[in-house]
Amino acid sequence: MAAYNVVEPLSRWISHNLLGLPRGSRSGEAVAFFFYDVPKILLLLSGMIFLITVVRSFFSAERARRLLGGKRVGLGNGLAATLGIVTPFCSCSAVPLFIGFVESGIPLGVTFSFLIAAPVINEVALVLLFGMFGWRVAGLYVASGLAVAIAAGWLLGKLRLERYVEEFVWRTSFREGTDEARGLSWEERFGQARQAVRETLVKLWVYVLVGIGVGAGIHGYVPADALAAYMGKDGPWWSVPLVVVAALPLYSNAAGMAPVLQALVEKGAALGTALAFMMAVVGVSLPETIMLRRVLRPQLIATFVGVVTVAIILIGYLFNALL
Amino acid sequence: MTPSVSVIEVLGPGCARCFETLRVVRDVVDEAHLQCLVQKDESVERMAALGVMRTPAIAFDGKVVVSGRIPKAQEVRRLLGLA
Repeated sequence: MAAYNVVEPLSRWISHNLLGLPRGSRSGEAVAFFFYDVPKILLLLSGMIFLITVVRSFFSAERARRLLGGKRVGLGNGLAATLGIVTPFCSCSAVPLFIGFVESGIPLGVTFSFLIAAPVINEVALVLLFGMFGWRVAGLYVASGLAVAIAAGWLLGKLRLERYVEEFVWRTSFREGTDEARGLSWEERFGQARQAVRETLVKLWVYVLVGIGVGAGIHGYVPADALAAYMGKDGPWWSVPLVVVAALPLYSNAAGMAPVLQALVEKGAALGTALAFMMAVVGVSLPETIMLRRVLRPQLIATFVGVVTVAIILIGYLFNALL
Repeated sequence: MTPSVSVIEVLGPGCARCFETLRVVRDVVDEAHLQCLVQKDESVERMAALGVMRTPAIAFDGKVVVSGRIPKAQEVRRLLGLA
């Protein structure tokens, strides 16, 4: 926390005194924003990832599978979406996890709720939103992510899409795996947390720098309220679908998206529109979709992407209306 | 040296984390001059058969010993009974 307090004056000093960029100038503001955000975000990220990993070490995919076992549609979707947030999960595991869930009799819609919640509610994005906008926006992000996962999973379940799951999935017999979350010592949990912090920083620092760079550019060069007319609360009705569809092919990391989001909102974009943009970039990822192709037929993949997209658009509208 | 394990499988769909896991395992095996087969398996059928829901995973002779994370070399040595 002490390190936190020196960051702002230091960033001012670097940009205005060291680099000689005048206060209030475009380049001066952009550079100060950059040097303020980089250490702030990296500090916040390290602390929170550590905490989150310790919490997550108590959950596992095996445990989620057991908990969801006898659950029906509806309640099951809610539980699956919640477990999707806390269960440690990398998008590479989407396929084996899908088979494990479906094979143990968990309904397809409930499985989808889990698979949607896990990437949409990203822990890094949550940390960054909390650090930049406070707990209200962070809470809103979790609530909207849950809503998208529950609604999209429920709808996908209703559509009876089982026939579009590749044949071999139903024939596979899944062996009861060992539960890694059991019997870990605190030392092991802390060790995992330290490793997660290291891995996250190594993997994300480029995204963070680029994201903050783009954010800083917007901060310094885009005039205030320039975006209000297009992405603002009273902007045209098509602004939410437009930004969501534009965001689908973009694949970035949540860590890179949050600074961009902050800059967009600062320039007059409505928060709902901006959150929808971020969820679309982070939640629907091309690599994960390609991997799911191994177990799902194209029709189901298309429906999956379509339903999630529509759900994100609706959430964007809802928050623009509420806030 | 004769190892207690004859086949080590590294399971994962082919992402960076899985390759890193394979590298850790290979390094330990090479360093100890173990005469065992190290193989990478990307098939989901195999993962399902072993009960792997989170990758990367490591199995010794068909028994899963690590799942959902990249182990450290020291841990692999311990699992193999080398340390």
